[in-house]
Amino acid sequence: MAVSDSGKQSEHVKPKPEFDFFNDERVRSVFYQILTAAVVGWIGWYLFTTTAHNLEVRGMDSGFGFMGVEAGFDTDFKLIAYEAGVGTYGDIFLIGVLNTLYISFLAIIATTILGFIIGVLRLSNNWLISRVALTYVEVFRNTPLLIQIIFWYTGIFSILPRIKNSLDLSGGSETVLLNNRGLYMPWPVPGDLMWMTGVALIVAIIGVIVYRRWAHKRQDETGQILPMFLPSAALIILLPGMVYLVTGSPLGWDLPVLEGFNFVGGATLPPAFLALFVALTIYHAAHLAESVRAGILSVSRGQSDAAMAIGLRNSKVMSLVIIPQAMPAIVPPMISLWMNVVKNSSLAIAIGYPDLVAVFMQTSLNQAGHAIEIVGMTMAFYMFVSLTISGLLNIYNKRVQLVGR
Amino acid sequence: MGIVKSEKTPARAAPLSETTIIGWMSKNLFSSWFNAILTIVTLYIIYITVKDLWIWGISDAVWVAENRRECFSISIDGACWAGVITWMDNIFYGRYPREELWRINLGLILLIVWMAPLWLPRVKAKVLIGVTTVFLYPFLAGYLFAGGDKGIFMQVMISAAIVCLIGNTLHSIIGVTSGSSLDDFLLRKLGKQDAPEKSQHRILLGILLASFVVVYLWQMSWSVEGVSWTKWGGLFLTLVISGIGIASALPGGIILALGRRSRLPVIRVLSTAFIELFRSVPLITVLFMATTMFPLFMPEGFVLNKLVQVIIAVCLFNACYMAEIVRGGLQSVPRGQAEGAHTIGLGYWGTMGLIIMPQALKHMIPNIVGNSIGLLKDTTLVSIIGLFDILGMLRSISRDTPWLGLHKEPLIFGAILFFLICFAMSKYSRHLETKLSTDHKK
Repeated sequence: MAVSDSGKQSEHVKPKPEFDFFNDERVRSVFYQILTAAVVGWIGWYLFTTTAHNLEVRGMDSGFGFMGVEAGFDTDFKLIAYEAGVGTYGDIFLIGVLNTLYISFLAIIATTILGFIIGVLRLSNNWLISRVALTYVEVFRNTPLLIQIIFWYTGIFSILPRIKNSLDLSGGSETVLLNNRGLYMPWPVPGDLMWMTGVALIVAIIGVIVYRRWAHKRQDETGQILPMFLPSAALIILLPGMVYLVTGSPLGWDLPVLEGFNFVGGATLPPAFLALFVALTIYHAAHLAESVRAGILSVSRGQSDAAMAIGLRNSKVMSLVIIPQAMPAIVPPMISLWMNVVKNSSLAIAIGYPDLVAVFMQTSLNQAGHAIEIVGMTMAFYMFVSLTISGLLNIYNKRVQLVGR
Repeated sequence: MGIVKSEKTPARAAPLSETTIIGWMSKNLFSSWFNAILTIVTLYIIYITVKDLWIWGISDAVWVAENRRECFSISIDGACWAGVITWMDNIFYGRYPREELWRINLGLILLIVWMAPLWLPRVKAKVLIGVTTVFLYPFLAGYLFAGGDKGIFMQVMISAAIVCLIGNTLHSIIGVTSGSSLDDFLLRKLGKQDAPEKSQHRILLGILLASFVVVYLWQMSWSVEGVSWTKWGGLFLTLVISGIGIASALPGGIILALGRRSRLPVIRVLSTAFIELFRSVPLITVLFMATTMFPLFMPEGFVLNKLVQVIIAVCLFNACYMAEIVRGGLQSVPRGQAEGAHTIGLGYWGTMGLIIMPQALKHMIPNIVGNSIGLLKDTTLVSIIGLFDILGMLRSISRDTPWLGLHKEPLIFGAILFFLICFAMSKYSRHLETKLSTDHKK
């Protein structure tokens, strides 16, 4: 902005802004933007031409045609049907994506539960308990996740007893077995009429929602509080249970059976999966616990005092007053922590769990080349997940902001 | 009629629960039946855990042995620390030539000497010392570690670094003993403290140039043997990578954050896209990108070694995380501060550099330290793409013939080492936070 000298101001004459080409703000802003765009554009063009030239010199083709080519390798753990030599790199990409999402999903659920428990224990009025929780948090937060993952894998899950001496976790019935090949569990096989139980479960859930709405409305009108937990639990357990029994228990179990040197049947989780799951959960729960603690502490003491003063029980003080006010402080860090779980599941590569990075970015890239396409696809997947999760966060923040403040 | 006491009522003794150990215990450990049971069960679990760990890790452990078999023959249930102890040099220095280890140690000592004034009282111009640490120390240390031929550029930078180091040290000694600064001291010694400012500057510049020339001539007389980066490893390599990452993150982060808050749409969009791209993908994919795609980006015949690729990747990645921290810090400074600065006639850079940034940086300290701890821990990922950092070294112990299969002990040792470093850093940042806090709340 052009500033005139102070002598004129005493005469109350508004100085006429002179158009100074080199110091005009608009000219400068346009100039800087064009300059930045030109530099970035030049870098992009330079990288593009050098890369194209390099690819040509090395005789490498580009494009996504390789996705339809058969991949000649197999993976230890997969959620879709795939056969080495028949399945394509496209299938491998899908296997990787599903494996990443599978372990992340399970680890996120376990992290959330464990993190909340530890966070509440941190605030326990029992000194010993809060110290134990603090030790847990400090130890697992201050050591690298990768060391923890490798420790669980090489130090615990791969030196378990051999198949013959499997640990029996089901208490003698030999249905849930743990050994150095992984965890073997029975897997449910639904019979013909199993769908009816499923329908009954959905009906029961809808029933519970309707009952809750009705009970809330009644409480608003009459002040009478109806029991909530028992009727809900009864409805959800009894209705599907009865349908299940009436239709003749149509659910079979596929049990793991020892045949020769290995178990056949049931479901198997390999040691790498178990190690990654345990390590991700323990590491991120320590981080979540701190967010939970901070969130609960952010609710001022007066709130719980006032809640007790109007005669609420301890559990109601927590569930009706403290937690609802702590949630806006807990949820945003929790959601970004979920994102971290997804990202950190890529460390699977160190112990051979076939996640997206391991099967696609490493094995496929080594075999098929196409570095740019493969790196791009992998990054695009993580960006997609990240955008989805931050979208969730934005929706939540909007809702919280509408409520008040 | 009122009753007025003529003497002060003596204070009642504090309740037992506040003063005695038993009172404290009954309040904090045994306040209810449930709590009492919880305490006893927890104590029992702690006892079992600590006892087992003690027996495994200390009392039954083997400290001296030739190989893992010998460990087993001495004690079957104890830890075999002998393997870790034999490999200790490798864990810290990697495959660096053993007779050249003094260079790494000297580099570390120089860093401590360089940065120590930052913590000393009465030393002036600490910002300048901090800036020279970031911009000059790396050249001196880099040459010490890598060695080989000094180019002209390196010769100049090394000389500048040495002059600066000597100046720093003298300055801090003078500062601690007399509370003045090096330039005042020199002028007083020369009897020119009353000379006009211009000639003072000329004298100081002369001294600086003269010492630079002396140091330049002196450094031409020696050189150290080249050590290939492939021999770098262990904790040393971890610290080099994370050190460069941490040092470059703040400048990079500030530029990106200012870009993201810029009023110019092109700059804002580009910065935002860059930051969000790197923040939404895992570090390991960035490392893979660096090792597989950078070679394609380079003109023919120009080869970046893997270490440089990794360092570039780590710097880019960390700068983006730092950018978000800086942005958070900038947002925490009230708008009135910028408006006030504009009112007294400061431009954009004046407002940012003198008013906004100093306040924002103070708010950012806990996050910056947290981010640095995160980076230090994440640096272990470079072992996945084949560099022998500390984790790479720890894992190679189990592949070494005499110690085949020794997994647990090295990893636990590494975990303890990281814990000590990271825990100390986070404690220090909390201390710094309270020390720098100008808030009125306690």
